[in-house]
Parts: sequence; structure tokens; C-alpha cells
Amino acid sequence: MKSEREVYRNRVELLQGTLDMLVLQALQWGPQHGYGISQALRSRSGEVLQVETGSLYPALHRMERQKWIAAEWRQTEQKQRARFYRITAEGRRQLAHDRSKWDTMVAAIASILEA
Amino acid sequence: MSLWRGFGARKSELDEEIEAHRRMAIADRVARGESSEEARAATEREMGNMPLAKDVTRESWGWVRLERLAQDVRYALRQMRRSPGFATTVIGTLALGIGAAAAMFTVVDHVLLRQLPYKDASRLVILQETGPTANDYSNTPWIDLAQWRAENRSFEDIAFSTGMGGRTYLEGNTAALQVDGQEVSPNLFAMLGAKTQLGRGFVAEQPSFGAGKNAGTIVLSNAVWHAAFGGDKSILGRAVRINDVPYTVVGIMPAGFRYPAVNTVGPQVWTSIQLGPKDNGRGYDSDHYEVIARLRRGVKLATASAEMATIQQRVATQYKDAEERADHSKVSVEGYGDSLVTADEKKALLALLAASGVLWLIASVNATNLLLARSMARQREIAMRGALGASRGRVMQQMIVEGLVLSGCAALLGTGLALGAIRLTAAIAPIHLNVDFSTHVDLTILAALCGLTLLSAVLSSAWPALIAVRAPIEPALKQGGQQTGSGRKHNRLRSGLVAVEVAMSLTLLVACGLLLRTIYTLRHVPLGFRTDHIIVANLSIPSYRYVNKSVTASLYQPLLERAQHLHGVQSAGLMTEVPLGQTFNIMLDLRMNGNNISAALKPVSPDIQQIFGMKMLAGRFFSHDDSPTSAGVAVVNPAFARLYAPNKHDPNSLLGLKVWNLRKDMPAKIVGVLDDERQKSVAEPSQPEVEICLCQITPDSGIYQPTTIAMDLAVRTQLSTTEMIPELRDLLRQASPELANSTFSTMDQIVEDSFGSQRLAAHLLEVFGGAALLLCVAGLYGLLAYVVTQRTREMGLRIALGAQRGNLLWLVMRQAGSMLLAGVVVGLGLALASGKLLRGFLYGVKAHDGWTLAGAALLLFLSGMLAAYLPARRAALVNPMEALRSE
Repeated sequence: MKSEREVYRNRVELLQGTLDMLVLQALQWGPQHGYGISQALRSRSGEVLQVETGSLYPALHRMERQKWIAAEWRQTEQKQRARFYRITAEGRRQLAHDRSKWDTMVAAIASILEA
Repeated sequence: MSLWRGFGARKSELDEEIEAHRRMAIADRVARGESSEEARAATEREMGNMPLAKDVTRESWGWVRLERLAQDVRYALRQMRRSPGFATTVIGTLALGIGAAAAMFTVVDHVLLRQLPYKDASRLVILQETGPTANDYSNTPWIDLAQWRAENRSFEDIAFSTGMGGRTYLEGNTAALQVDGQEVSPNLFAMLGAKTQLGRGFVAEQPSFGAGKNAGTIVLSNAVWHAAFGGDKSILGRAVRINDVPYTVVGIMPAGFRYPAVNTVGPQVWTSIQLGPKDNGRGYDSDHYEVIARLRRGVKLATASAEMATIQQRVATQYKDAEERADHSKVSVEGYGDSLVTADEKKALLALLAASGVLWLIASVNATNLLLARSMARQREIAMRGALGASRGRVMQQMIVEGLVLSGCAALLGTGLALGAIRLTAAIAPIHLNVDFSTHVDLTILAALCGLTLLSAVLSSAWPALIAVRAPIEPALKQGGQQTGSGRKHNRLRSGLVAVEVAMSLTLLVACGLLLRTIYTLRHVPLGFRTDHIIVANLSIPSYRYVNKSVTASLYQPLLERAQHLHGVQSAGLMTEVPLGQTFNIMLDLRMNGNNISAALKPVSPDIQQIFGMKMLAGRFFSHDDSPTSAGVAVVNPAFARLYAPNKHDPNSLLGLKVWNLRKDMPAKIVGVLDDERQKSVAEPSQPEVEICLCQITPDSGIYQPTTIAMDLAVRTQLSTTEMIPELRDLLRQASPELANSTFSTMDQIVEDSFGSQRLAAHLLEVFGGAALLLCVAGLYGLLAYVVTQRTREMGLRIALGAQRGNLLWLVMRQAGSMLLAGVVVGLGLALASGKLLRGFLYGVKAHDGWTLAGAALLLFLSGMLAAYLPARRAALVNPMEALRSE
């Protein structure tokens, strides 16, 4: 079993500007609270991506103001009151936009590196 | 408010959201098998700096600025609580300045820029025929103004009016109401742009001789309609009686309409002028009208004036008598609004306005100085905050908010003061200025003043902060930033500001001193009569009741008889106008001994001499033996004797001379010469005057009619006014119901009222001068107290090195002295320069009166030194050990 410290070291910082896209993508899978979003991103990335709480909440509140996501208070299965976010139609459009930009960039970078 | 509640709710929501995150993270770890201790520690490590995360999140809401502002306001309020003395001084100072200036601006605005209740009032002008000097203007006879109407091109229309003459009573449903009755040309209302609220009003027609379409009709003001007829609409078309003559009501004007714009008599009614045979001439017996015209759009006053001058040249040639021709040679064209304020009042108000402006400046300078001093003292605090990571903008914002909070409180308080001050002005000014004070402080003016004050407060708190945040932090922290070069420079600046304050205060004090001396001199002018224990009733006489019977026999004699027997009355007398009464004035032009004589005429009853304690220079006063059937008698005054006595140095030479015919074949001979007495104002030397015995005037006397209009009842009594006036009013009501409307005063009050603009100016300047002195002393004290605190260490060091305590006292006093001296020198210059503004109000004292200047300068200097002594003494008593240790 890998030690906690090792796992932590193996995580990478998120690339600038990708947090919004990842959060929106995580919400595509269903409404989720802040902790749930960070856990989802972590497990889906194979424990590699760690979203800083200090970045996550400012991003959530900003996107809520931009009307990409909406929020409401609900009970979790463990009877914990939490603020659940869900993606809006506006958010889906933004995600699609971010996604195509991302794909273009990845392809461009890949073609440079493989050249 | 909801913004703040919303903010607070959202803030706790965020706290809860993040707390939920933490709990879920811990719960997950515990579920994975960690101990709760370990789980908590690991979670906290993973989540990092949570307060920072919350701050960043809140910033994304865009509300953080507001939150910081709230923080700054709270901090500013805490600062105010911590140094209440400082806050009180700054707020009080600024409030005083704002209040005084706003009140004065409002008064001046009302009087000078009076809003007239007419459409496009700026195009309305008054036309008056004048002689060689603009002061002898007269009203205009119909045939002159008809020529104006025919020949001018400058005016859209010319209308004219005249008072009904005498006192006018309208019989209402329940009682007779004294009204201001005006006869007007039918085009007047249309020219003013006024429409009736009810009824058709006057029919448009050209003024014509003989009965016109509007003959016997009347338009009522809204006030009369309500007061006399309770607002009954059925009054339209019915007849109402004015002085017993019936008129048919054809219109009611809307509330607030009045013409003439200034009227002190009562609510108004208007009838239509009917031209008669007398209007064909220009003589004394033809009617003379007040003329108002509306300028054509785009025509300037000067253009109209020039045109009227050429027309009047042609008009004047028709006057046959050379003197009369000269008296009607010119026409004055004056804006209607301007014509309602005399040049004297204008000057008084502008001078007071300037004074209040100066007071506001002093207040602002003072507050600036105090704020500067405090900001300097806080340089260390600012440096500390800088060291702890506060950004410059953040510190600046905080300082500005502090300035805003202080001056905001001051603005609120100042508004309250202004409202109070206006009430006060209204209480002392009404007789003189005829101002309608019912409206409140002008909001634009108040806003402008508050704005300027806020700005100055913000600048004076932000500027030192700017310097402080720019300064390197380290030396300020090390030394307390007190003995640095910039500190000394600012001390010089503040000394300069104090000197400016002293100079401006001195100007106000000198003005105040000059007016107080004027009032003092006026009070000590020998009046020539006693003023104590005299109650005066200005009788409101229903003249129309006495057209064909003797008012003397049927009203005045019985009234005097009863008044004399009233309990508490020592004696009672009648005269058309008491001295200084400024109510009614009869001028007499007559020929005596080959002289053309112009004199004031006063019918009086014999007891007047005893009531006013007048002395005789020669001969006798009237007695109860003088009667309508005995020989006609008259009494004159020294001014008359000086001009017309056969032997100028002997008033006795006038006795026995025939002065005037009381009526046909009834000459009045001079039987006595009175001692000098003031008539119109205390400041004016007396004019020639002839007094005749009231009882000798009968309905066939030429002078009969005026005696049915104006009469003052004077009563000498030992009883107080509160006891006497109701009894007198009862007495008058019994004689005739209308007389109950008479106004009462005391002779002392009438003299006091006659001081008019001087008294108003003196009262206000007392307030302004006193306030300026106070501000100035406070400013000086504040600065020196601050300087001494700042130099405590230096003082301690000096004492430790052997300086005498007297030397230290001297050191501070010298600094105060030099500021005061500089201020006084500049202030004397300012006072001399502004003396010109005051010259018109002064009596018995010159604008550059040495004693007043010296007195004011000395007062200011001594008060300043006294204020300086307290901090100086503190400096001298510094304990060297404590002073050195304290740093």
C-alpha cells in the first residue's frame, strides 16, 4: 500500500484554466456538492488530480454568478446538509466551448511534441 | 439594508458549505479506517488556508469592497467614540459653518431671487415716471400711459392698477373682513398669465370711458373666498359688498395667486378700473396708476428703457408747468422682482451673505487644521499598518471614510442648525423684509454646501494619509515620525491656516463691532419723546362708514372718552401716526409768508403731548378748550421754525401766524412750537411738521378723508401689555366690530423696529462674529495643544539641560503670538477693505473707526493668547523624567 505522502506527491497541479472545464464536466454526471466534485475529479483521474479547496469554492461561486451552474441546499445520503450544484444549459454550452478549445490545444501540442 | 442582510446570510452560508465539506472529508477518512484524530488533522492539512479561501470566494461575489467600507465606517465610529472631544470639535465646527451659510443663502435666495407666482415672471417690468433723480418717481396718469400703450414696440402688453384707497372691508357671511382691494385694468390677469379657478373673470376689453363691460364686477382671491364665504361655489354671480358698495362676483383666483406680489394688508380682491372724467388730466386730482408690462420675447430691459425714454420726451412736453415737466421727464423700467427689494435691503443681505460665507470658510479651515493635526499624529499608526501588509489604497480609503463620517455627521447637524436659524431670522426680520419664510431650506444650496464640506474634509484627511503611505515605513516606526522635516513643514502650513482664520474672524468681529456701535449710538439719540409705558394701537378703521358723518364726533371722541376711563389708563390720545410708526404719512404743500412750504401734517388730540412727554419751545400745545367752533390752531416743530420763521433764531416769531386753512374761512394760526422729535427714523434729522387739533377737523375739511383712514391710539399706562391689550381690544370692538382687527405694539417696540436693517444685521453679525471668535480660539488651542504634545520630549530635554520653565512658557506663547499677530495684521487690512460694504448701515461711526478696529483686534489677540496659555503651561510643567521615559 502506497503511503499517503507518496500519493500526495504524485498528484499534479491543475493546468491554468482547466478547473472550470473539469468542474462542469463533473457536474455533467449529476448534481454534486463541493466535496463530491473534488472526490469525483480525484478518483476519475486515478488519484492524480487534486483540486485545492482554496480554488474550488471561489470557482464554484464565480460560475454560479455567471449562471453556468445553479445551487441548492439538500441532504446527502449520510444526512449531511450540503450545497448541491447542477449544471445549467448555459453551463453545458460553456463546457462544449471549453472542450473544443482544449481538444484543439492538445492536438496542437501533441503534433509539436511528436514532430 | 437588505443588501447587508443578504451579505450576512450568504457569508454564514459559505461557512456552512465549507464546514460540510470538512465533515464529509473527515467522515470518509474515518470510514476508510483512520482514527478521528488523524482524519481531522489530515483533512485540515489537505484543505489548507480556509479563511483565505473564504475571502477569495467572497471577493468573487463583488461585495468585498462594501464589506471593507462597512469595516472602515465601524472603525471611524470607534475612533470618534475614543476621542469624543476631537469629534465634537470637528463636527460642531463644520455644522456651524454649514448651518449659518445655508440659512443665509436661503434668506437671500428668497428675497433677491424671489419666485413670483406668474408665468415667465422675468419678462414682467414696472414702469414709473421719474424726475431728474431716480428717487422721485410717481405713478402714472391714464393719458400718459395711454400714449405708452399706443407708441411702444417693446412690450407685449401694458396693464395698470391702483389700490382702492383707504381701508377696504368686505362683508362676508359672518363678519367684515379687511381686504387689500385693487382696481386693475381688464388685461392684467391675462398679461400675468393667470387664469381664474372658477368663473369667467374679467371680460377682455380696451379701457374706455363710461361704464364698461366689467363695471360693478369683482374677482376674489382664493383666500377671501374661503375666509369670507367658506369656499361656497354658489357665490359666483352673487353680489358682495365692499365698503357697502355691491359688486357681482365673476371669478375666483387659484390659491397662491397674488397681485401686487407683496402685500401686507390682507387677502386680496380685484375690481375693474372704470375710467372717468378725472382720467383726462394730469393734475393732482386725477388718478395715478401703477403700471406693469410684459416685455416681448427677446427684448432686453435696456432696449425697452431706451424706447420708453424717447416716448417719454414727447409725453413730458404736454406738462405745462416747468417743474412738473422735469418731474415727469424720464421713465424707469425695472424688473418686477427687483422692484420688490430696496437697494438698501439688497446691500444688507449681500453683506450678511458674505459674512456667512466667511464663517463657513473659517469653519472649513478650522476643521482642516484639526484633521491635519490628527493625521500627522497618526503617521506611526499608518506606518504600522503598512508594515503589517495593508496596501496604500486600503489605508487611504480608511482615512477618507473617517473624513466622510465626520463631515457627514456635521452635514446632518448643520441642516438642523440651518432650519433653526431660518426660524430665528424669520422671527427678527419679518417687518423689514416682507419675506415669506414658510418654505424650507433650499435643497440645492444645502446640497452644495454639504458637498463642499465633505470634499474639504475628505481632502484634509486623505492628503496627510497620502504623504504618510508614501513615506518609508521604517523611520516612522523607529522615531514616531515626529521630529522629521515633513512634520515641521506641516506645522508651518497649519500655523498659516490659523493665521488665515484669525484674519477672517477679525473681519467679522470688526463688522459686528461697527454695527453694535451703530445700534448703541442710535439708542442714545435723543428722540424728543418718552417711549416707556405707552401702548399703541394702529386702528383698523372702517372708513366707509364715516363718509357723510364726522368720524371725529361719532368715533374718535367717544372712543377717547371711554379709553380715558378704562382701569389702568393714565391718559389716552390719538394721532394719525405715532413718531417712528412708519404707517401713514400726510404731506402738505402750502404757501405762507411768500414761502413755498412742504411739511408733514399730523392731526392729533391734546393729550398726546402729555403721553409722549413732549416739551414746548414756545407757546402752547392744544387743549381741551380747542373745539370745532373755536379759533383754528396749529403747532409746528423746530425744523419748520428753522426754515420758515420770520426770525430764524426765535421760534416765538412764528406765533400767531396763519399757516393753513382748516376749511373755508377757518384759518389755523400757529400757537406753539414743539421741541425736536424724531419722525421717520432715529437716524434721520426731523423734517418740517405741522400738527393740527383733531377735534377741529370736520367732514368739510380738505384733510378730513385721511383722518378716516389712519389713526393711532396711544395710551399711557402702568399696567403690563398682557393686561392692557385685551381690554383695549374689547373697547375697540364695542366701538365698531372692524376695529378689533387693529394691531397693537408698544412705543419701545416701535422704536426698536425702526432700527430695521441695522438691527437685523447687528443681530446676525453678533452670531457670526461670536461663532468666528469661538472657532478661531478653538483652532488655535487645538493646534498648540497638539504641537506641545508632539514636542513633550523636546521640552523635557530642554528642562533636563537647564532651561527655565518660564522660557518654555514663552516659547509656546511666542509661537501663538506670531500666528495671532500675522492674522491680525492681515485681518485689519481685510476689515478696512470690506468697510465699504458696511458704510450704508453705519450711523455715528465711520467704517474705519480706530476704536472698533483696535478693540476687535485686542479682543481677538487676548482670547487667542488665553487659549494658548493652557497648552503653554502644560509645556512648562513637563516632568523631564517622564517625558524622556515616555518615548
